[in-house]
Amino acid sequence: MGTNPMPRVESTVHAPCAAACAVHTDTRQLVEFIANGRYEDALELLLEANPFSSVCGRICHHPCEQSCRRAKVDAPVGLRRLKRFVMETMADSRHLRRERNIPQQDKARVAIIGSGPSGMTAAHDLARLGYKPVVFERHATPGGLLGQALPRYRLPYSVVKEDIDDIIALGVEVRTGIEIGIDIKLDDLLKDGFSAVLIATGLSESRTLGIPGIDSRGVQLALPFLLAAHSSRPVENGKRMVVIGGGNVAVDVARTARRLGAEKVTMVCLESRDEIPAWPWEIEETEEEGIVLMPSWGPKSVFSENGAIKGIELKKCLSVFDSEGRFRPQFDESEVATVAAEGLVIAVGQSGDLTCLEDAAVELVGEGRIQWDRETLATSREGVFACGEVVSGPGSAVEAVLSGHRAARAISHLLETGNLLEQPPEELPHIGDLPDDVASKVTLLSPIGVSVLAPEERVKGFEEIETGYSEADALREARRCLACTTGALVDEEKCAACLTCVRICPFGVATVERTAAMPQDECQACGLCAAQCPAAAIALTRFSTRQMKDQLREVVPLVKSQSRATPVIVSYCCLFEVTGRDFLRSAESTGPGRGIVPISIPCVARLSTADLLSPFEVGADGLVIIACREDSCLYPTAEDRLLYRIRQAKGVLGEIGMEEERIDYWKTNGSAEVSWGAFWALSQKKLGEILNRKGE
Amino acid sequence: MIVAERKPLAEIRSFVEDYRRILILGCGTCTTVSLCGGEAEVKIVASGLRISFLHEGRDSEILEDCITRQCEPEFVEVARQKVKDESIEAIVSLGCGVGVNLLAQLLETVPVFPGVNTKFFGAVVEPGMWLEMCAGCGDCILQLTGGICPIARCSKSLLNGPCGGTRDGKCEIGEDVDCAWALIIERMKSLGTLDRLSEMLPARDWSTSRHGGPRRLVHTEVANVNVQETEGEAQ
Repeated sequence: MGTNPMPRVESTVHAPCAAACAVHTDTRQLVEFIANGRYEDALELLLEANPFSSVCGRICHHPCEQSCRRAKVDAPVGLRRLKRFVMETMADSRHLRRERNIPQQDKARVAIIGSGPSGMTAAHDLARLGYKPVVFERHATPGGLLGQALPRYRLPYSVVKEDIDDIIALGVEVRTGIEIGIDIKLDDLLKDGFSAVLIATGLSESRTLGIPGIDSRGVQLALPFLLAAHSSRPVENGKRMVVIGGGNVAVDVARTARRLGAEKVTMVCLESRDEIPAWPWEIEETEEEGIVLMPSWGPKSVFSENGAIKGIELKKCLSVFDSEGRFRPQFDESEVATVAAEGLVIAVGQSGDLTCLEDAAVELVGEGRIQWDRETLATSREGVFACGEVVSGPGSAVEAVLSGHRAARAISHLLETGNLLEQPPEELPHIGDLPDDVASKVTLLSPIGVSVLAPEERVKGFEEIETGYSEADALREARRCLACTTGALVDEEKCAACLTCVRICPFGVATVERTAAMPQDECQACGLCAAQCPAAAIALTRFSTRQMKDQLREVVPLVKSQSRATPVIVSYCCLFEVTGRDFLRSAESTGPGRGIVPISIPCVARLSTADLLSPFEVGADGLVIIACREDSCLYPTAEDRLLYRIRQAKGVLGEIGMEEERIDYWKTNGSAEVSWGAFWALSQKKLGEILNRKGE
Repeated sequence: MIVAERKPLAEIRSFVEDYRRILILGCGTCTTVSLCGGEAEVKIVASGLRISFLHEGRDSEILEDCITRQCEPEFVEVARQKVKDESIEAIVSLGCGVGVNLLAQLLETVPVFPGVNTKFFGAVVEPGMWLEMCAGCGDCILQLTGGICPIARCSKSLLNGPCGGTRDGKCEIGEDVDCAWALIIERMKSLGTLDRLSEMLPARDWSTSRHGGPRRLVHTEVANVNVQETEGEAQ
């Protein structure tokens, strides 16, 4: 049994993590589900927002974490790893869920070109809306570059496949090995009964460089190199490799080259160290693997012998962008360097391959870009839409997913109304930064790490370098969430402006003018004010004990009638001390047989005196409160406040002639699994003696 | 602020044990602020009574409510309606004595019992602790005593300085009771007005206080009452 939150209060402001996510995954709610052991709900939440949740749990660039307000206290919550935990733990549930969620597909057929995250997300959404999407993929397996080119040490193909299989299970047909424009013309798709076409072909062509010697043997482009490495085809890989480029693809190439046996890999990029476009954590891992970084250098020429590369000459790059932010690198031609190499990979960006538009009457603009409206996602040809990187340029996986969602809405709207749908970019308002003075009062909790392969082990092969959270670790990490936007709400009608909240708020957040107020951007949702408010005018957005009392009213009399000999004890327990939900479930299912009714609560200090008395109202013989471990409460002063309320509740029992010893207070010792059973046994024994004395 | 303290539950229980439908009625103003009669305390009292009745095998039903102020007829009307609609047999008021009186006056057939002991007019000196600072005597002389009331805060309500029971600033009745006159003297010293204490005062007219019988107050800008008549009545 747990405390059920109040019906969700729709807030107009969001937690920054949710606002920062391209698909607005409600990460705050996700963490709450995890902390409560509600992994099924967590899975549902993730998959509703993002059908590529397994992929994103591995490789998302996690803007959620970058905007996490906890960063100001110590370090952001490991949200990406928590997602991965849910997707890994719930893999079986996901399979079962597939069978339950097959939609009726009686609407039009839609052709989708490209099976990367944008195209497959669109297919997913369209299938759920009742359309019949058919995805055309020129490679032998679906997944786009995620599936074909991303190095396996970052993203095993099995993970991509989990997401893809889930989408296919909705009734999405994927035809692999078919290249639209060559095998089938786009025109023919529209003639053959497809009501709409979505171009989601991504950026599949590596750009090259126009420098002398670039046609030497041993010079390769990034994507063919990665594709070959991924599919275990023979890859040309010298002992000394140079990678040109500073983006994430360049990093993938460099690290792949190292794993393929290159002894020395040098990454050369125009940008200075501070400007390198690859994610900082990727750069860090790259250097750990012994890859040499040469920022602020540009390629001048490739020198070769007998047509085979021997090395590259570089020139100093002074700046990359002009004053208006346009790419216009400036060099100092007099400062040069050379790097000897047997292989060179060019990773300086990608472009779209528009083969699918051969004879398709879809207009292009500029240097071969699709004419495209970013709000309607429509091309110049009616019924033909485009999404993903082929139109929006390089981006992240989660942005591609968003683009797929938008494309599905665009197509569905056209097919249902005959009109184009304007979809302006959607930005969620969020509560902003955590104020410094509040951050300084938040209890520090170090982030929970995961084990990562040592660099010398990593470079031996393509084994995934990071492991996922164990359940205990995920629960500990979930505890670190500041639960932004779930703070205290005041019922102004009831508030008597008594100042109790102001006096006890451990974060100095509560204020009273005419009535009390807890600014949402400051409140830490500890609930101490709500538990203590004499007017019962304060409630937490996401926590209430109302339903708990109703449940007690049902369960306790039942338990009492079933276990006559045993004193019946209700036990309020700190949820945060549980290291696995199975323990909680087993305690909840077997406890009542032994006269114990456990109720886990995210911080027992949230309980009011009335909450402490309510078990007795419904017939419990005793109450055991088990708090967290010594010095581990998230909220300053919370334990003292709870102890005052316990004293008050004991006083009430005393006033009506009942023994104060009927209420016991314990602190978890070690873990819930280790200590709670012992506490229950001790309290039950003591209570048994009291009842015997009284002859009850 | 009127400050009160909840009565022991055994006492409250003794008032209502013969009734089957009992309303615990809180007051959303003074007793809420003095932490003994707001909605949270209503829950505690109701819970305590339910537990007690459960153990005694009594079959009474305890209802809970809290109104904005028990000292206003309009707010009491809300409770009166509830009493009628819910067939309440007895009320435990967690308002101050004023609330109990007005409820009793307006609820003709339903008994109203006090759930709190109304203590004094006081101020918070630290969270959860109040000190008496005013006796409501009806003729304020704080202008003469540096803003510290000797009537409320001197154990003997002396008006002519400390008695022989003052010790190191404390009153002889208890170590945690300040001698009001020691406070007055210190305060007037720091204000530079100590010499005013040597002024002769006329004998005090205590008829403005309880000694003049129950008091009445009329604001004629609101009440359509003849003031002469009212004053005559009061005397």
